Amino acid sequence: MKVMIRTLLISVLAMVLTVGLLAQEMPKEEWQNQMNELTAKRDDLQAKLSEVEKAIEEAKTMLDEKNSALKECNDELMALVGEYEASLNAIDSKLTSLAGLSNQALLERKGELDEVATMIATAKTNPLAKVPKYASRLTEFERRLEALRKALEGAAMTYTVGTWAKDRDCLWNIAKKPKIYDNAFLWPKIWQANRSDIKNPDIIHPGQKLTVPPKAPLTPEEKSAVREYWRNKGQ
Amino acid sequence: MKRMFGLTITTLSLAGLLLVGCSSNATEDELKQLEDLKAEVTSLENELASKQSELDNMKKMIAEKDAQLKKCADDKAAAEKALKGM
Repeated sequence: MKVMIRTLLISVLAMVLTVGLLAQEMPKEEWQNQMNELTAKRDDLQAKLSEVEKAIEEAKTMLDEKNSALKECNDELMALVGEYEASLNAIDSKLTSLAGLSNQALLERKGELDEVATMIATAKTNPLAKVPKYASRLTEFERRLEALRKALEGAAMTYTVGTWAKDRDCLWNIAKKPKIYDNAFLWPKIWQANRSDIKNPDIIHPGQKLTVPPKAPLTPEEKSAVREYWRNKGQ
Repeated sequence: MKRMFGLTITTLSLAGLLLVGCSSNATEDELKQLEDLKAEVTSLENELASKQSELDNMKKMIAEKDAQLKKCADDKAAAEKALKGM
C-alpha cells in the first residue's frame, strides 16, 4: 500500500513539473500569432514614419519659403518706414533716459524736454504719423513728455553759493544765471524759498545751499516781499 | 485495487507524455526573432513620436511665420496708403 501511495505521489509530481515546463515555453502557434501581429504593427509604423518624414521635408521647404517672403516683406517695409521708425526710436530712448533721472537732474536737463517736444512735433508732420501704430506711439510719447513736465514742475533745484570774489554770487546774479532763471528779476523767488536761511537778501554766504524753485512769474507774496524789501532799504 | 491503481498511473503517465510530446514549441532562435521584432517595434514607436513632435513644432513655426507675414503685409499696406496721401 505504501509503495502504491509513493508511486502515485511521484506520478502527480511528474505531471505538475511537465505542465510547469510547458507553461514556460511558447507554443509555435502563439509565437506565429505574435510574430504576425508585430510584423503588421512594424509595417504600419514604418509607413507612418515615412509619411511623417515626408511631411517634415515639406514643412521645411514651406518654412524656408515663408522666411524668404517675410524677409522680402520686411525689407520693403523698412524701405518705406525705416527712417521714420528710427526717428521714433530716438524719441523713445530720449524719453526713457530722461524718465530715469532724479527731479534734480531733470531740472538741469530741462532744455532737453523742449528738444523732445520738437522731435515729436516734427514726427507728427510726417504722413506716416497717420498710420495707427505710429499715431499711438506718438500719443504715448506726448503722454510721457507731459508726465516729465509735471515732475519738473514739482521739482526744486539747489544752488551752492560761491564766493563774491570768484563767482560774484548774490541773489540777483544767481537768478540771472542761464541755468537758474536767466532772469535777474526773479531773485525774490530764491529769497522767499529760502526765507528761513536768508533774513536779509543782500547777505548770503559762500557754501550756503539755496533751494531754487522752478522758473515761474513772481507770486503775489513774492512781489509783496520785494516791495517790503525796497521800502526797508529806502528807510 | 492494485490493477485499478496501475491503470491510473499508466493513464497519467501516458497523458503526460502525450502533452509533452505532441505540443510543438517555438525554438530559441524563433523566440529571439520575436524579441528582436518587439524591440524594433518599440524603437519605431519612439522614433515616430519624436518625428511627430518635430513636425508639430514646424507646423507651429509655420503658423507663427504666417502671422508675422500678415502683420508685415498689413503694416506695409498702411504705410503705402499713408504715403500715397502725401
